[in-house]
Amino acid sequence: MNLYPNAADLLQAIADLLDEEVMSAVPAELAHKVRVASNLARIVGREVELAGPAGESERQGLVSLLGRDGPLAELRAQLTARLREGDPALEREAWCLAVEVTRDELAVVKPGHDRWEGK
Amino acid sequence: MTLRSAPADGTDLAGGLARVLSDAWGTRVDVSNLAPSSAGARRRNVAFDATARTLPAMELVVTIVPAGAMGLNSVTAEAQMRRTARDHGVPVPEVIVSCEDESLLGGPFFISSRVAGETVPRRVLRLVHDAGTGDLLAGQLGTALARLHGIDPAEAPAGLIDPGLRPPSEAALEDLEGSMRDLGVLDRPALALGMKWLERRLPAAPQRLSVVHTDVRNGNLIVTTEGLAAILDWEGARRHGDPMEDLAWPALRMWRFREDHLEVGGFAAREPLVDAYRQAGGYFDEDRMEWWKVLGTLRWAVGLYAQATAHLSGTFPSIVMAASGRRVAEMEWDLLMLIRP
Repeated sequence: MNLYPNAADLLQAIADLLDEEVMSAVPAELAHKVRVASNLARIVGREVELAGPAGESERQGLVSLLGRDGPLAELRAQLTARLREGDPALEREAWCLAVEVTRDELAVVKPGHDRWEGK
Repeated sequence: MTLRSAPADGTDLAGGLARVLSDAWGTRVDVSNLAPSSAGARRRNVAFDATARTLPAMELVVTIVPAGAMGLNSVTAEAQMRRTARDHGVPVPEVIVSCEDESLLGGPFFISSRVAGETVPRRVLRLVHDAGTGDLLAGQLGTALARLHGIDPAEAPAGLIDPGLRPPSEAALEDLEGSMRDLGVLDRPALALGMKWLERRLPAAPQRLSVVHTDVRNGNLIVTTEGLAAILDWEGARRHGDPMEDLAWPALRMWRFREDHLEVGGFAAREPLVDAYRQAGGYFDEDRMEWWKVLGTLRWAVGLYAQATAHLSGTFPSIVMAASGRRVAEMEWDLLMLIRP
């Protein structure tokens, strides 16, 4: 498929429309929902650009942690199940991988949230 | 000005309030200057003025609760708990009337005195920053919590939620486990790591179970240049709880509103809170507080996940609920930082 403009550009246009034109035209009780919608359009815009490479790096991390290959969702569920059963040897590396994966997710949903590394 | 004072269900709120107060005070009361407040997503708070010929004008707030809320205190129990807390020196707005009858204002409600000050977190932070009163506020909060926790649970109102004498940490962890099972959250390693951390460090019951508020945080405080004016939102108060739950909750990152280096609500470090808590007779346990910080963060992550599920399943379709799911990663980050190996 060679669709033009691309998804990120269109989501940007939707977010701008919501912020710049719709917001001022809706009743006050709808303003919060419009703000949320525009934020979601920006989130999905970032997801479209970042999710592909980040998904592959998560999968590679899981492959090396679990020592087997497979689809991302399956590997993720397997790691979660092993952690729930209790596998202390796995925990430190799983923590490091979770930090990396969460950083990638935050780059989509809340850029900058991972700058604070304290408690 | 457009007429927005009538609630969406068509009840005439001003008229209803005037009738309720006229009955309560036995004199004709006029109600004016209704101003809906943005605070509280679930409960509806409306500020208003009441005037009666024989009495000075009063600045009040009505809080109307959606009918049939589960797992929370009735307005009667909440109003009584507020009175009990006030009697023990905890700053709480005085309750004038409470009523379970849904027909009067469209839901159970209570009317309380209006305490001046800021409640919106970012405004609170600006005020505290400008006035340089962060440590003062944290200290007053510590004192208030120690007074609350000093109340004999037997003195709490009869209808207050009572989880009983089971160790609160054990009950909280089991509830969380149940929610995660019901929701089918089986593919999030960060949450699994958090659950394991909590299981391994499960604290024993505290020396003494206390009346707890469970939602003390920046956003549920009324703050002035003098510091803490009132603690709001007592709907989740319980007869028996772990006092450290109440110290941990306001210290979570999500209530710091970008002032991440100031653990308590973005306005103070932990020390002034804990020092004042101890001075007022509270027993502080650091490990237990850390445990409740992890529990609270994980529980919030699961709550956000549940909101997204409520949207997807059609139980509560709303873009706001859907968006909550996209906030889980924030909580997972905070959780991972708390349990860093």
